[in-house]
Amino acid sequence: MSSLLSPARGTRLPRTAASAVERARLALVPVRVSRAPRAPFAALVLAILGAGMVGLLMFNTHMQQGAFYATSLQNRADALTAREQSLQMQLDQLRDPQHLAAAGRQLGMVAPATPAFVDLATGKILGKPTPATPTDGIRVTPLPAGLPSPLRPKPIIVRVLAPTTAATTTQTGTHTATGTGHASTNTGTTTGRNGAATPAHGAHR
Amino acid sequence: MVLSLFGARLIQLQGLDPKAYAAKANAESLVTVPLPATRGEITDRNGVPLAETVAGMMIVADPLRTRPHAEAIARILADRLHLDYFDVLDGLMKQAPPGKPDIRFAYIARRVPATLATATVAAVTNAGFQGIETRPDPLRNYPAHDVAANLLGFLNSDGVPLAGLEQTFNRRLAGKDGTETYEVGGGNRIPLGENTETAPVNGRNLTLTIDRDVQFYAQRVLRTAVQGSHATSGAAIAIDTKTGEILALADYPSYDANDPGASPASDRGSRALSDVYEPGSVEKVLTTSSLIDAGKVTPLTRIRVPHQLPVLNRVIHDYFQHPTLRLTLAGVIAKSSNIGTVLAARQFTHSQLWNYLDAFGLGHRTDVGMPNESTGVLPALDSWTELTQATIAFGQGVAVNALQMATAVNAVANGGELITPSLIKGSATTATGTVVGTDQATRRRVISAAAATAEARMMEGVTTLGAGTAPGAGIAGYRVAGKTGTAQEVGKTCGCYDGSLDVSFGGFAPADNPRFTVYVVIKNPVHSASGGGTAGPVFRQILNYLLQKYSVPPTNTPPANLPVFW
Repeated sequence: MSSLLSPARGTRLPRTAASAVERARLALVPVRVSRAPRAPFAALVLAILGAGMVGLLMFNTHMQQGAFYATSLQNRADALTAREQSLQMQLDQLRDPQHLAAAGRQLGMVAPATPAFVDLATGKILGKPTPATPTDGIRVTPLPAGLPSPLRPKPIIVRVLAPTTAATTTQTGTHTATGTGHASTNTGTTTGRNGAATPAHGAHR
Repeated sequence: MVLSLFGARLIQLQGLDPKAYAAKANAESLVTVPLPATRGEITDRNGVPLAETVAGMMIVADPLRTRPHAEAIARILADRLHLDYFDVLDGLMKQAPPGKPDIRFAYIARRVPATLATATVAAVTNAGFQGIETRPDPLRNYPAHDVAANLLGFLNSDGVPLAGLEQTFNRRLAGKDGTETYEVGGGNRIPLGENTETAPVNGRNLTLTIDRDVQFYAQRVLRTAVQGSHATSGAAIAIDTKTGEILALADYPSYDANDPGASPASDRGSRALSDVYEPGSVEKVLTTSSLIDAGKVTPLTRIRVPHQLPVLNRVIHDYFQHPTLRLTLAGVIAKSSNIGTVLAARQFTHSQLWNYLDAFGLGHRTDVGMPNESTGVLPALDSWTELTQATIAFGQGVAVNALQMATAVNAVANGGELITPSLIKGSATTATGTVVGTDQATRRRVISAAAATAEARMMEGVTTLGAGTAPGAGIAGYRVAGKTGTAQEVGKTCGCYDGSLDVSFGGFAPADNPRFTVYVVIKNPVHSASGGGTAGPVFRQILNYLLQKYSVPPTNTPPANLPVFW
């Protein structure tokens, strides 16, 4: 470089101009290639994507878990409600006046025949206290039902000849033989429950 | 590349018939369930439920699957549900007649509490059998069975009310069903999925003026008496004198509202309201109190009562043989003399007596809210003859239902002011649009307070030992006013008096400050029936129970003891 400058000492100005020109000449700026690494960015995007996916998955799973839990709780609530109602029904049964009356009856209790009160403020007895007697009782349970029809056989009706005397035999003989005589009118009264009707029924009129 | 694949799929899904896919998805996952409205409760005056709706279940079988193991399954079911083994077996083995398709459905038990049903089915499943399952069966439960059943009515298996208050107030009780539609996946509800809901409107409760305990007691006393006298039916009514609220309205025969099918249809209504009959001598209370109110007589008016009394072409007798008696008006009531009443009533013109009886509510429906109430018959004024007036004066030739008569007697108890009776607390609208209830109760004066007091004093004689016809209806220590009634009944077939009787008893206590009015009628009793002997004890027992339950002490005033003879 110094060899280039030394001959230029005589011609200072042009040399200076030349260097200016030299300096003023445009030159291509070297291309600055960005060598920033792509990998982190891709990783970041993938990470965001992945996180989103996982988050969504977890969110969904969580919601599903929640739904399962809600369903199980609902089932439990239903079961408990049903149980409460069953217990309520049991309680109702126990509080049923019929139940109480029957239980009282079992203990030999009857409703008092005369109201009487004790005034707690004064200790005075109001009304005429009278002991209850068995006649004051009422029947709280229904009468036993009758036997069902298969166990209640129809009365067996036995038609017998009218007890005849010597005098009437000849007169009524023809009527009774046809079975239309008055001997058969007692059919309604022969109500033998066990069917053990005997010819003796004919004499029951 | 991937995006275009997605795009293609998107076009396939959205572009080509998207609706079909949507419908398919809905069918797969959308579930619509009805949200049944809960039917309102019917409660008594203290809030005790008389009719309630509970979550129940039915247990059903698929006979095709249960048939092979029927015995084993039946044993489990019969044990746990307390059912008849053979009935269950029949259900499990149900078979279609040859040629018909197989039966896949049979009821095993209905109205089973949910917990019991679930546990039972679980037990069957655990034992390794299939074909038994539960279905929801919301059930109307009547916890007290036959108590007030004739008033309440019942629902059929489809939940349609068929009788009583359930029917009259169905609109109020039923409410309105809603629906809910939502998406499910694998039996679970999908969160944030489609979800529409129409909320059900639950039915409103109905509160009665009935007191369940009194109602129960009245029904049992009545049943004992009706069965004991081999009568065909009976009714007993208890009214709160001051308010006209019906505390008990008992009918016999009755039925179990949980199992209405087990009783004949004729027993499921309220005979106290639907049946009319001739009131007999209890009506003398209305006749004589009207006469006192009009100033025609006093309790001490002297009446000469012959042994018989010809009126037009008929002869009127008393129920007992007697020579000519010298009875006071109080004696006429105490001895229940027809002839004495007819003689006293002769001071009225036809229209005067008719107007009083009309004001007492005879021939007018009480309209308490029960279906099928009868009007009763008070013959039109222009059809009256001397004989009509004479018989109506002692309660024949006029027809009432039991509640009408109880209301009329209650007017005397309530100082002469008639209160329309009520069965509903507050107010409620019936199926026909009438508003009924305690809020709607009206009061009107029928006789003066003085006349009512005089009548009550006369009625005391009826329950007084030695003076009246029903000493058995009196309660020791209390002043009880009452009146017996025995009326001939018009036969069902001949339209004439066929010898059958209705016996009744109406009255109230304490006589000088009445709190409760009780009226009892027993129809067609067989054994030595009389108003005092058959209906009187029922009256006494119900009244006795009321006085105890509501803590009404004796008034401790001297009894009236009006002279019977002169």
